[in-house]
Amino acid sequence: MARFVAQRLAALVATLTAVSIIIFLAVRFLPGNILDLFFAGDNTATPQEIAAAEKQLGLTGSYPEQYWRWISHAFQGNLGRSLLSQQPVSAIMGSALPIDIELVILGIGLALVVGVPLGVLSAVRRDKGVDYFSRVAGLVGISVPSFWLATLLLIFTSRVFHWVPSLSYVSFFKHPIANLEEFALPALSISVFTLALVMRLVRATMLEVLNLDYVRTARAKGVRRRAVLVRHALRNALIPVVTVAGFEVGTIIVGAAIAEIIFGLPGVGYQIIHAIFQRDYPVVQAAALIIAATFIVVNFAVDLLYGLLDPRITVA
Amino acid sequence: MSAATVAARLVRRRRLALPARWRNPVGITGAAMVAVVCATALVGRFLWTTDPNNPAWTRLQGPSWAHPLGTDDLGRDTLARIIHGAQVSLEVGAVAVGISLGAGLVIGVLSAFYRGLLDLVLMRLVDVVFAFPYLLLGLLVVGLLGPSRLHAMMAIGIVFTPQFARVIRASVLEVMGQPFIESARALGAGDLRIIGRHVLPNIVAPLTVLVTVYFSQSILAESTLSFLGLGTQPPEAAWGNMLANARGFIDSDVWMAVFPGLAIMFAVLGFNFLGDGLRDILDPRLGTVADAVVAKSKT
Repeated sequence: MARFVAQRLAALVATLTAVSIIIFLAVRFLPGNILDLFFAGDNTATPQEIAAAEKQLGLTGSYPEQYWRWISHAFQGNLGRSLLSQQPVSAIMGSALPIDIELVILGIGLALVVGVPLGVLSAVRRDKGVDYFSRVAGLVGISVPSFWLATLLLIFTSRVFHWVPSLSYVSFFKHPIANLEEFALPALSISVFTLALVMRLVRATMLEVLNLDYVRTARAKGVRRRAVLVRHALRNALIPVVTVAGFEVGTIIVGAAIAEIIFGLPGVGYQIIHAIFQRDYPVVQAAALIIAATFIVVNFAVDLLYGLLDPRITVA
Repeated sequence: MSAATVAARLVRRRRLALPARWRNPVGITGAAMVAVVCATALVGRFLWTTDPNNPAWTRLQGPSWAHPLGTDDLGRDTLARIIHGAQVSLEVGAVAVGISLGAGLVIGVLSAFYRGLLDLVLMRLVDVVFAFPYLLLGLLVVGLLGPSRLHAMMAIGIVFTPQFARVIRASVLEVMGQPFIESARALGAGDLRIIGRHVLPNIVAPLTVLVTVYFSQSILAESTLSFLGLGTQPPEAAWGNMLANARGFIDSDVWMAVFPGLAIMFAVLGFNFLGDGLRDILDPRLGTVADAVVAKSKT
């Protein structure tokens, strides 16, 4: 087990390093000289001003030096300053992260809370009305573009209920009701894809598991139907579901970025997309690193969880 | 009844009876939907000849006989733009899947066939690309190269390569374990011959399913990128950027937002149905996209 964890940890560090290098290089190769953007096309900058700008943007020295400087600063929490607002990037990210975290938690939560029971129901009442409906709904759910769903939801609530979610962000800890109101539509539009995926997967694995010998033994022993379902079948069927849900966090992070744009929530996704259009490269670099690092760490945690739940993986 | 009548009846019945696994309503529906999308993309503009970029009509109209899907905020005909969007989506899907398939085949076959250090290195590279959520990679690539449909195609192709590579590698490994490969070697077949004549034909089944599933994902990805302004650029019509445009006008004209989204959903759903149906025919064991994701942790 320890060997498994150590292996995965090594892979985590290696991947993080490679990804950070890619992000670093990607931003350095953006077309257009960063300095031109910094001076907004003003050609009268003196050499001292240019040198000072270079120093501020971290462009002095060779690429490895720049990379090392960027990474060591990042570890200390200094991610540079935004080119546009001059605010420290870490402050921008700090206020943006809670929005993303909440969106992702709500998205995954909704997907699991609704998807798992529906999948179980679908498997148990196979080929009856509920099953047929869930299967079609499942296929439709993985085909709906989340940004269209969000737009439709907005149209629906504004026309039918004459209500739109507020545009200014309030923290959950300060105003829980207002916060949940604000996050309801975005969370819903993000969760649909994963919900459908989870429902289909739970149905498939439950169907497999319900045919196995040990389930038949339990029923023959006289264990009640519900206990058989939950304690024996579901527990084992949930293993691949947990893994898939974990990997789907990446999709949800992406969906969250899009939802942030549509609903005007200033999360990390919103920041990175606007920063790319405005060539605000310190923000792009920092946001990309945060998103990628989150994704990698979550995958690592899911890998570990899978190893814990299914001992066959760690021994193999 | 004469023998001739009986024989004639038998022949007729055999022609109409599809093998059991082919009687798949989901797959057939999917095939029909995909056919509709392809037909729209290929011949749509000859059947409905209105210019998608000509802002000649009254703005923000709902559906009418002259404009079955209405007009947009500049007075362009929505139906013509949807047809053009079908061309864009299919083109992006084909190119992106082509890139992923090509690269995935090379990586997957090479690492499974030669194993050892090559396998390790290639799979680590694949892991690094896989570590990026697809939108982030798309953002970086497009941010690097500038927003355009071509760059979006490349970004999507790169992003999907790891999944192709993994599944192909797993399938090739399975094929390599079969005794007929060993016999082929014993008979003196060279590497290329084994790959070409023995390995590739046996991985067609999982490949077909992959291609259909990722075609639908590419359409979704392209519309997401163009929605964000990073794919097909306006004024050229793509379903994603039509939807982005529509967002500003949902108070005055709801229809603008409905049709592009419906088109995206129809196309994606069609390919997903088709993929499900094909998988049922080719090998029910193959499982869904979700299974391929789970397989990641086992490789």
